[in-house]
Amino acid sequence: MSKPTDLVQGTLDLLLLKILALEPLHGWAISLRLKSISGDVLQVSEGSLYPALHKLEQEGWIKAEWKQTENNRRAKFYSLTRLGRKQLESETANWTRLSAAITRIVHLSEV
Amino acid sequence: MWLERWWFTVPLRVRSIFRGGQLERELDEELQFHLDHKIEEGIAKGLSMEEARRAALRSMDGLEQRKEEMRDARRIHWLTDFLDDTRYAIRSLRRSSGLSAFVVITLALGIGMSAAGFSMVDGLILRPYPVPHPADVVSLVSTSRDDAFGDFSYREYLDIRRQTKSYDGVVASGAMQTVGFSANAGATPRVRGGMLVSANYFRVLGVEPQLGRGFRDDEDQVAGRDAVVVLGRDFWNHEFGGDPSVVGRTVRLNGIDFTAIGVAPESFPGLLIFSRPDFYIPLAMERLFSTSPQKDFFEDRDDRQLSVKGRLKAGATLQQARSELAVIAQNFEREYPKINRDRGAAVRTQLEMRTRDDQTEWKFIVVFAVLAIAVLSVACTNVAGLLLSRAQTRTREIAVRLAMGAGRFRLVRMLLTETLVLACLGGLGGVGVAYGAIRFFHTLSIPTELPTFIPFQLDARVLIASVALSMVSAVACGMAPALQGTRADLVNGLKASGVDASGRKRLWSRNALVVAQVAMSLMLLTASFLMMRGFHHGVAAAAGFAKDHLLMSGFDPRLVQYNAAQTQRFYQHLVERVRATPGVQSAGLTRNPPLGLGEFGRIAFVPDDFQMPRDRENFTSSMDTVDDGFFETMGVPILRGRGILRSDTADAPRVAVVNEQFAKHYWLGADPVGKHIRLDGRTGASIEVVGVARTVTYRQTTERPTDFVYVPLAQHPNPRMILLVRSAGDPHQLIDPLKDIVRSLDANLPMSDTRTYEDVYRYNAVEGPGAGIEIVAVMGAVGLVLAIAGLYGLVAYTVSRRTREIGIRMAVGAAPSDVLRLVMSTGLVLVGIGTAIGLAMGFTLEQVMNSTLFNAGGVDIAAYLMVVPSMFLITMLAAYVPARRASRIAPTEALRYE
Repeated sequence: MSKPTDLVQGTLDLLLLKILALEPLHGWAISLRLKSISGDVLQVSEGSLYPALHKLEQEGWIKAEWKQTENNRRAKFYSLTRLGRKQLESETANWTRLSAAITRIVHLSEV
Repeated sequence: MWLERWWFTVPLRVRSIFRGGQLERELDEELQFHLDHKIEEGIAKGLSMEEARRAALRSMDGLEQRKEEMRDARRIHWLTDFLDDTRYAIRSLRRSSGLSAFVVITLALGIGMSAAGFSMVDGLILRPYPVPHPADVVSLVSTSRDDAFGDFSYREYLDIRRQTKSYDGVVASGAMQTVGFSANAGATPRVRGGMLVSANYFRVLGVEPQLGRGFRDDEDQVAGRDAVVVLGRDFWNHEFGGDPSVVGRTVRLNGIDFTAIGVAPESFPGLLIFSRPDFYIPLAMERLFSTSPQKDFFEDRDDRQLSVKGRLKAGATLQQARSELAVIAQNFEREYPKINRDRGAAVRTQLEMRTRDDQTEWKFIVVFAVLAIAVLSVACTNVAGLLLSRAQTRTREIAVRLAMGAGRFRLVRMLLTETLVLACLGGLGGVGVAYGAIRFFHTLSIPTELPTFIPFQLDARVLIASVALSMVSAVACGMAPALQGTRADLVNGLKASGVDASGRKRLWSRNALVVAQVAMSLMLLTASFLMMRGFHHGVAAAAGFAKDHLLMSGFDPRLVQYNAAQTQRFYQHLVERVRATPGVQSAGLTRNPPLGLGEFGRIAFVPDDFQMPRDRENFTSSMDTVDDGFFETMGVPILRGRGILRSDTADAPRVAVVNEQFAKHYWLGADPVGKHIRLDGRTGASIEVVGVARTVTYRQTTERPTDFVYVPLAQHPNPRMILLVRSAGDPHQLIDPLKDIVRSLDANLPMSDTRTYEDVYRYNAVEGPGAGIEIVAVMGAVGLVLAIAGLYGLVAYTVSRRTREIGIRMAVGAAPSDVLRLVMSTGLVLVGIGTAIGLAMGFTLEQVMNSTLFNAGGVDIAAYLMVVPSMFLITMLAAYVPARRASRIAPTEALRYE
């Protein structure tokens, strides 16, 4: 089985922040959400998901809380912090700029 | 932004550090939660339980690595690594516990001595004044040719205070003086210490009385009007048990009723180093102390008794203050040419005041500190050498670690952690050693009438210094071995642990260590030897007068308000009755006996028949005021002419006795008896020199011969005198008869310091300096033992590393004696170089010590003759034992030797 294309460096952070901006989720739900939203185009290795989440937590962008799931199990729910919201805004802006530039370049080369 | 970040992240780090176990459990639980779902999903897809489980684990791409990544995300691995290193270090140090113990003890001695040294340097030189913004407080001093740190007179102080603009305030204080204190009018006064201060003293220094108030300006305006006193904190505690109602109460000082208006705070024990005033009294109450009936404190501009300090204004520079004061001093000189000729003024910082050239305590302390640092360097060199040897035996271990991918930086860190652990243990022991050394100084009882405060303490500053010293020594002794150890060449390192791979460089650094140790210990040895010799030389030479069978006791009739005539009568009767007592051979009066505890007065004079330098108004000399019984009682021989006689009364022609040194100084070759000196200046009163006394040691046993003048008490009245009584038998038996005599003369008059002269002498001339010298000697010995141990280890190690080489040499035909010569010659060269350097350092040190501390007289050849050969002998022994062993090994064995 070939590995899914690695995400552009730093993009995973942006995706995670965006997903958590919508609602607090636990790790498993985040992985499901990632798959469903991106329609399997972006495959995130489940292995790299948790280190990424922990890194974001240590940066102070998201915070974790142990809560009961609907199945009555304890799970670690992540949610965005105020700092994370700022980070999301700036990373979104960055991404928009970057992708716009790349799109322009890609189109140029076709002409 | 930064702040906000920290707000979120700091609690996380703290949690990572202290709740590691819980985080670990949470981490497992979180991943388990994910895996369980994954397995469920797999089963739903139709996999078996086992297959689903395996698939789930696979999807994590290596669970353990992920966990490690997540731990790294916590960003405390520097700490966890450090803790791991520490644990590892403790384990590996425990394995070689003998070596570790030796290293720790070595470092403890070095660090402890240095910390004690720091505590003393701090107490005597560095510790700031106990006032707010102490750096702004400067001293204003009157300077003359003979004295760069002189006091000002009251009038001069007032002028300076009025004319300067650089200060927020200028304060004046007198010297600490004895005061007769009684809590009520009836009680016999007890001797305490008091100090005259200007009314603005506390205000300008920024000291808020802990109780009551400080002085008001109007309390220092009229001489003798406002008898108010501020009590020292310690005195208030001891005498009044810290009773707050003391404010407003009346206390009797030298027979005058004073009102206590306040208590100085605990934070302010005064500005003196060795003593703490019990009373602060306004300058206007000076008559309480007036010592010289001839001079008027408030009017005479040359009655210089006040030390003046100012607090620099914000924005005023030291430079401005200096030029401002210089102008004032010039004006003084112009307005009062007679008494201010050649006299200037200077502003000095606290550091300048504490490192004055004319005081020896701080110099001794600095020498002590330097020697302590030398001991520490020897200790560090020693430890470095040991660790270097140890690192070499660990070459294989290090090579394995490097081969497995450990970074060099990481390994250096690991090895440094080991030395850090050692140094911390050493530092801990060092604090104990420092505490012991400081306690030792506190156990010296100093027989002064006012308590002497020993400023050495183990406070936060000293502890911080100890920690810093430990860190520095950890790096100093760990860096070289760590760097060298990790430079290991992998291939060779793994192949054979025993071979000295990159020989030359390593040998070089080890050789340097040997040289450094020899040099350092030689210097230490020279210094301690020199001090011992100088000291014993001085003590032996101090036998210029008799020290035994002498009783002394101090009197100050001012304490009971005697006027000049009463005082004179009292001393006359006292001496007469004492001389008439059975068992008394003779009795005399002096202001301060030789090697006593007080200060000698100074006399300014112009000698007849001596060509005065053009730019000098007069010369000065130490002097003592004595009566007709002094020379006989003290046993100071009169070599020419006569001593002081009863007939030298106030009305008789004025006379003086000078010492041999004085006579040689001014009238070399001529007969001094019959010559005259003029007091103060060319036009002053003429005094005839009637006798020459033997030159003895006056202040310290180690001093150079100094000029000295004796003048008769009757012609120079002085209230505070010390009675010397020479006894036929045990002087202690005269104490009671003496007390009876004094009681019969005046029951209220306190006697102070009644003890045998021998006690005072033993402390002041023998035990006091002796204690310091003992400590230096101990340091020298410790340094030497450390150096020998280190030297032996290093040389022996070097030889043992060459066992294989020696085997080869012997296999191809070298005789044991050749081998011995080979090994010994290397040792000899190293010791030779070390000795040369050590001699150079020792010689420099000797020059410095001779010129500053005492006069041991030129280069002490004997010291070197003893030190150098013994050093050589020891080193040769250190080289010989292993060399001999090496030369006896069978070649076959040596070749196999690893």
